[in-house]
Amino acid sequence: MPFKILQTSTGAAVRAVAGALLAASAVAAAAAPVTQEYLLTVTRPGQLHVIDMASHAILRSCDIPGKFGSGSIAPSPDGRVAYVLSNLWEDVYGIDITDCKVVFSARQSKDNIRVKTFQSVTVSADGKELYTVQNPVRLLPDRFEVMEPRLAVYSTSGGLDAPLLKSFPVSRRITKIAATQTGEVILGGADVTAIDPRTGATRVVTALANWDRGPQWLTPDAFAMHSQGEQAAEYIMPYVTARFTDETQNMETAEWWWGMSRVDLKTGKAEQREIVPFEFIVFNFITDPTNPDILFGSFNQLSKHDLRNQKTLAVEPMPHTYYNLNITSDGRKIFVGGAANDISIHDAETLKKIGSIELPGDMSTSDLRVARRLKD
Amino acid sequence: MKHLKSINHKARQIDEAAGSGEIEEVVAMQTVVGCTATVDPGWEIDAFGGMASLCQPMEADLYGCADACWWPAQVPDTMSSHPDWGQGADAAMRDWRKLDGIFEDND
Repeated sequence: MPFKILQTSTGAAVRAVAGALLAASAVAAAAAPVTQEYLLTVTRPGQLHVIDMASHAILRSCDIPGKFGSGSIAPSPDGRVAYVLSNLWEDVYGIDITDCKVVFSARQSKDNIRVKTFQSVTVSADGKELYTVQNPVRLLPDRFEVMEPRLAVYSTSGGLDAPLLKSFPVSRRITKIAATQTGEVILGGADVTAIDPRTGATRVVTALANWDRGPQWLTPDAFAMHSQGEQAAEYIMPYVTARFTDETQNMETAEWWWGMSRVDLKTGKAEQREIVPFEFIVFNFITDPTNPDILFGSFNQLSKHDLRNQKTLAVEPMPHTYYNLNITSDGRKIFVGGAANDISIHDAETLKKIGSIELPGDMSTSDLRVARRLKD
Repeated sequence: MKHLKSINHKARQIDEAAGSGEIEEVVAMQTVVGCTATVDPGWEIDAFGGMASLCQPMEADLYGCADACWWPAQVPDTMSSHPDWGQGADAAMRDWRKLDGIFEDND
């Protein structure tokens, strides 16, 4: 009897606990919505593709106004709108990735002022402002007058033909930019700088062309064409440099290194370091979101690098050039794209190919970005 | 080719092209304007003094060169002067035969 009572009591207790757990899990399921990761890219002649990073399916292809170029993409922080640089690198269109509706546009050229933006598009961390770097030229009857570049600020609630809110002068040769959670915009140019879009005040984040490391280090050759890094909340400007054996700067005996300026977009703080020996060309690097010491690179090969030990861990030859890459937030799958019309999908552990996505046109200069939002 | 053995991916592709009778297609591509085709080899070398680290094949990189006005002497500048050059040829690796040269008199 006591056993039976106990059994009954235990059974009741188990049922009660099980019921409570079920109820709790139901509450949890209701309270913790499932987020899904969408890969975004643009192909010629002008479509934004929304791709499910789990199933690799193209969920929808949205027409982008204007002629192709450049396909630079800045996802809104809530993952709903993709801001795309289009119409020959001149206009920005905000496209709702759930229904392809164009909800925003900024037409930067006006009258006889032609404005080009070289990839530089980003959205503030609160999603309220859009930033571009404008490179204006006045088209006069007898000459072109090159004007000063500027950071342009638009309100994302400005709708179609959004007016320019304000602008601040910036340096030339700026390519990719990124907004920090501290309210600055990182500008990649001769040096990595930051501008406060409230005041226009600028600061040097990490010096590159103007670094001062003495005669034993070659002035770095830095370049960044594409935006990525949202999965690790980072901005990477890669560079190549050489460490000479002495002040004669003999190129034949120098050690050649890949290096990077990596900005933490949560804090605005940066680290600048040499990462691995310079053995092959890499067009873009991303950090493993689960391990800041692991870097992946893309170009004619997909590569994996160990920053702590300054070693290349793996290299996977690719069938053609891929400019760009991105990664799932769990760090398990890498999507390699840009240039031609296919995205190659790889296991992040082994770098072996596990899938591909055929696209209708070339990605050319387009970005490969990730939007995270509630599952459709 | 019988005395040569291909040991890497690119060399094997060359072997396969020769074996499957695609030599004429390769020759035809020399007439297409492109990042490297018209004056290849020699106008550009990679950082290591070779060609292995250049973008490849040329078609994969073609619009990356044109759309960014990267090599305005080698390919049409589609950013400003010739925006319709690639119209109807959305994927260069598939559609390169549709691409033509630029003629100032629009012939």
